[in-house]
Amino acid sequence: MTDSDQQGSERVDVDRQSEQGPALTGGQRRAERRAAVALGVAILAGIGLFIVYFAGGQTQVEGVLFFIAFGGLGIALGIWANHLLDAREVVEERHELTSGAAGRQALGDALTEEVGPVLGRRSVLIKLLAGAGGALGLALLLPVLSLGPAPGNSLKVTPWTRGKRVVDENGELVTVDTVPEDGFLTVFPEGHEGTADAQTLLIHVRPGTLRLPPERMTGVPEGTQVAYSKICTHAGCPVGLYRAESQTLICPCHQSQFDVSDGAKPFFGPAARPLPQLPLGVDAEGVLIAQGDFSAPVGPAFWDMNRGR
Amino acid sequence: MSMVTERSLKYLDERLGTSSLARKTLRKVFPDHWSFLLGEIALFCLVVLIFTGTFLTFFYTPSVREVVYEGPYAPLKGAEVSAAYNSVLRLSFEVRAGLLMRQIHHWAALVFVAAIVIHLCRIFFTGAFRRPREVNWLVGIGLLFLALGEGFTGYSLPDDLLSGIGLRIFYSVTLAIPVVGTWVTYLLFGGEFPAPDIISRLFVFHIMLIPALLLALVGVHLAILVLQKHTQFPGHGKSERNVVGKRLWPEQTFKSVSLLLFTTAVLALLGGIAQINPIWQYGPFVPYSVTSPAQPDWYIGFLDGALRLGPPWDLNLFGFTISEVFWPAILFPGIAFGILTLWPWIERRFTKDRAEHHLLDAPRDTPVRTGIGTAGLMVFFIMFMEGGNDIFGVLLNVPVETITRILQWSLVIGPIVTFLVTYWVCRSLSRSRLRPARINAGLRLSRTTDGGYETVSLEPAGGDGEREPTPTGPHAG
Amino acid sequence: MSSVEGSSRVRRTATLLGGIAVLALLLTPTTGTASSRHGAALAAQQQPADSPALEARGRELYQNACASCHGPDPAGASYYATVPSLNDVGGAAAVNWALRTGRMPWKDNKGPAIERGEPRFGEEDIRALTTYVGKAVGDAQIPDVDPARGDLQRGRQLYGQACAACHGMNGAGAALGGQNIAVSLQDVHPQDVAEAIKIGPGQMPVGGGLTDYEFGTAASQQEVDDIAAYVESLRTQPYNEGGAPIGGKGPVPEGFVAWVIGLGILVVAARWIAGRG
Repeated sequence: MTDSDQQGSERVDVDRQSEQGPALTGGQRRAERRAAVALGVAILAGIGLFIVYFAGGQTQVEGVLFFIAFGGLGIALGIWANHLLDAREVVEERHELTSGAAGRQALGDALTEEVGPVLGRRSVLIKLLAGAGGALGLALLLPVLSLGPAPGNSLKVTPWTRGKRVVDENGELVTVDTVPEDGFLTVFPEGHEGTADAQTLLIHVRPGTLRLPPERMTGVPEGTQVAYSKICTHAGCPVGLYRAESQTLICPCHQSQFDVSDGAKPFFGPAARPLPQLPLGVDAEGVLIAQGDFSAPVGPAFWDMNRGR
Repeated sequence: MSMVTERSLKYLDERLGTSSLARKTLRKVFPDHWSFLLGEIALFCLVVLIFTGTFLTFFYTPSVREVVYEGPYAPLKGAEVSAAYNSVLRLSFEVRAGLLMRQIHHWAALVFVAAIVIHLCRIFFTGAFRRPREVNWLVGIGLLFLALGEGFTGYSLPDDLLSGIGLRIFYSVTLAIPVVGTWVTYLLFGGEFPAPDIISRLFVFHIMLIPALLLALVGVHLAILVLQKHTQFPGHGKSERNVVGKRLWPEQTFKSVSLLLFTTAVLALLGGIAQINPIWQYGPFVPYSVTSPAQPDWYIGFLDGALRLGPPWDLNLFGFTISEVFWPAILFPGIAFGILTLWPWIERRFTKDRAEHHLLDAPRDTPVRTGIGTAGLMVFFIMFMEGGNDIFGVLLNVPVETITRILQWSLVIGPIVTFLVTYWVCRSLSRSRLRPARINAGLRLSRTTDGGYETVSLEPAGGDGEREPTPTGPHAG
Repeated sequence: MSSVEGSSRVRRTATLLGGIAVLALLLTPTTGTASSRHGAALAAQQQPADSPALEARGRELYQNACASCHGPDPAGASYYATVPSLNDVGGAAAVNWALRTGRMPWKDNKGPAIERGEPRFGEEDIRALTTYVGKAVGDAQIPDVDPARGDLQRGRQLYGQACAACHGMNGAGAALGGQNIAVSLQDVHPQDVAEAIKIGPGQMPVGGGLTDYEFGTAASQQEVDDIAAYVESLRTQPYNEGGAPIGGKGPVPEGFVAWVIGLGILVVAARWIAGRG
C-alpha cells in the first residue's frame, strides 16, 4: 500500500484477502498449492518435450506436451491473478478527449496565420505544382502495368485450331475407339498437353442420345464422340465429375450441373452458360482431330467476352 | 529496490524520460468483463502466427519450378511437383517439429479470424463503436479484411490441388469485375491462368505487405484504445466520466499473460492432435485436375456458399457481359461489408445519437440493433452452410439440390425471421428486468481503517451495496 | 463457497466435459464401414466354377432372393423400371460386387445411393449366384486384382486422372448431386476396386474413366493393379501424420473444430481468467 492510499481514503477495498505480508488465508494457501501443482506439471511437460524432441520427435505427443506446459503456466498465472494478488477495484477519471473550442480555435488561427498565407500568395506556382505532382504521381504508377501482359484476345482463344490432333495428358493419340461407351477422358491438342485453357472432356455417349442441332452434330464423330471444354463456365473449376448413367456433368466447386446430351447446358446450379463444344473430326488414320476452336470462349464470363474474337 | 533496478530505471529515464509514463501506465485501469478479453485472444493468435510463421518462412520456397519429389510420402515418390509444394512436404515430413509448427500456424489462422469475428460481435452488440470510437471501428474492420487476405494468401502458398482450385475461383471472381476485370486480373496474376508468378506474389503479400499493415493497424488500434480508455458495462460506481476496473499491474498483466499462455496451449494442442490441410493427400496443383469435396478455409466459406447459392443470371449490356459471379462474389460482399464498415454512421442516422458513449449497452436494451446484427450473422451462417452443401448432403442423406433450395429460401426468409425473433426476445428480457449476475455481485470483504474486516454485500446496479473504490487519477499518488 | 460460485463451477465443469465430448466426437476418424471389408474377404476372387451343382444352387437362390425384382430370367427384363436387368450391369463381376459389399439383396435406400453393409450370403452362395447369373448373361469372368503387383506412384497418377474428381484425392468420397454419392474409398477391398472399374456401377462410368480400358488386356490389368495399390494405401498407410483426420473432408470440419473447440475452450478460459469480475 502506498502512502497516498493510506492518507487519501477512509476505506480500502481488498476483495476478501489481505495485502502482501503475513497470514495468508486458507483459500489463498489452497490457491497457491493449486498454482504450484500446475507449474510442477508444466515443468514436467517441458522436460518431456526435450525428451521427445531428441528421441526423434512425434507431432501428437509434442502438441499435447506443449498444451500441458503452456496450460499449466496459464492456470498458475490465472490462479495468481484471481486469488493471490492484492486485487483492488480502482477508478480512473476520464479526461476530456477534445481540446475544446479554444484549442480548435487556436489551431484554426495557426492555419490561417501561418499555413494559409504561404500557399495563398503563390497561386500560379501552386497550380503548376499540383499539375506536376499529378503527372508525376500517375507516372509513378506506370510500373504497375509491367506486372502483367495486356489481356488482349488471350481469354477468347485456346491452342485448339483446325486440324490439331487430339491427345491425352500423356501425349498419346486418341482415336474413336480409345474411350469406351459411357466413358470419358481429358484431352488436349497435340503439343499442348496439360495446357490449362485447352483442357477438354471427350465423352463417348450412348448412340442416339445426343440432342444437338444438326450444325453441331457435324462436330461429333460417329454421333457419339462429343467434346466439351472442361473449364466450368461459372468460376473456372475443372468439371471432372461425369455421371455416366444420366450423361450429366457436375462441377465439384459450386455444384453446377450440365446435360451432356443437350449441348452441356446447365440445368441446376449457378452456372449460366453451357460448356463450349469443341467440334471434332477424324483424320485419315482414324485419329480424332479438332475442326476449329471452341464454339464460345472457354471458362467464366468477363466484361468483353462477347465482343469480337 | 535493488541497486541494479534503480540504476537501470535511472539510465532509461535520463535518456527517454520513461519514469512518469511508466508510472501512469502501471496504474491504467482496465474494466474486467470476460468479453473484453476476446480482442486479446485475437491478438495472441497473431503472436503465435508470427512466431510459427517466421519458422515456416525459413523452409518455404516460393517457386513453381518443377522438382522431383524424393521424400518419405511414398505415393508421390518420383513425381514432378513445384518447388513450393515440395518445400512444404519436406517441412511436414522431414523437419523435426515441422508439421507441428505448420499445423499450429494453420489452426492459429482459423482461430484468429474466429476471435476477430466474435470480438467484432461484442463491439457491435454492446454499441462500443459509437462516438468517440468510430475510427477504431474502421481500424478493426480493416484488420478483419487484412486477416481474411492473410489467410487466403497463406493457404494458397503450398500450391496444392485444393488451394489451387481456390485460386482459380479467385481468378474468375476478379475477371468478373465489370469494365476493368480482365486488366486487374492480368496485372494481379501476371497473365492467363495458371499464372506461375502468382505463388511468389502471394508470398510477398503474405510475409511482407499484409503483416506490415496488420502490425501497423494493430498498433493504431491499441493506441486509440489506450488514448480513449476502455468502455465498460454500467454498474455501481460507474459512469460516463470514469473507468472502474483493475490496474494494468498486477491484475491485468497476469490475466493477459495467462490468456496468452492458454491461447498458445490450445493452438499447440490442435496443432498436434488434429490434422489440418494434409496437402500430401490432395497432391500438387494440376490445372486440369480436381478433387471432391472442394471448399476453402472457413472464413472464405461464406463466399463459396454465396457462389453456390447465386442465381445463374448473367447480363448482357450492349454487348458487354456481367458474369453471374458478380452478384454473389462482388456485389453481395460489397454491400454486406459496406454496411458493416459504415454501421456507426448508419445507426447514427436513425438514432440521431451524437453523444459520446463510454458506457456499453446491454444487447437486450437495443433490440433493433441486436436484431439487425443477428439477422446479419444469420445471412453469413446460411452461406457458410451452403458452402458445405455436398458434405452435409452426405451426412444427412439429403441431395445437394434440396439443401441448396432450402438455403436459398432461407436466405430470403431467414434474416427477417431472425430479426423478429431476436427483437421479441430482447423486448421480453428487457421487460422482465432479468439481468445476468452482475460482476461484483456476491460477498466482499472490506477492510476498515481500524484494521478489521467487514462483509459488504454488493448488489447489482441500483442496489445498496457500499463500495468506495480507491480513487486514482491525475491527483492521486 | 457461495452458491454463485458453486453454480458457476458446475457450469464450467459441464462446459469442459461437453468440450471434451465434442473433441472426442469430431476427432474420431470416420471411414467406410468395416462390413464391406468383412464381406469382401469372403469369396473375393472365387472365379465362377463350371459346376452344374453350383449353378443349380445359384438358380434356386436367384429365384428366392432376386427374381422378385430382377425378373425370372437374369438375361431378361426386370419387373420394375427402376431395377436394371442383370443383362446390362456387367455380368458376374457385378453380381459378385453387389453381393460381397452387401448392397444386394436390396434392403433400403436410407438416402442417396444403395448402402453398403454386411453381406447376407455366405461364401459358397455368392459363388453359386455368380456362377449362375454369369452363365445366364454370358459374362462369367470376374476381375483378378493384386495390389502387390501394382505401382503405387503410377496408381496415384491414374487415380488422380480418373477417380479423384468424384471420390476425392484422399478417397473421402463426395456427393454427386441428386441421389448419387461417390463412396469413400478409405476402407475398401481391392476386389471392390477392380469390379467397380469393370462394371461402372450406378453413375460411375464403365472403365472407371481410364483410357483404353478393356477388360482382360494386360495393359488394363496393370492399370487396375496400380489403382488398387493406391486405394489400398489409403487404408493401410493413409499418412495421417498430423493427427486425427476429422473425416478427411477438408476445411469445413476444420472450421467447426476451430470454432467449437479452439475458440470454445478459449472463451471458457477467458471467463475463468476474468473471474467474477
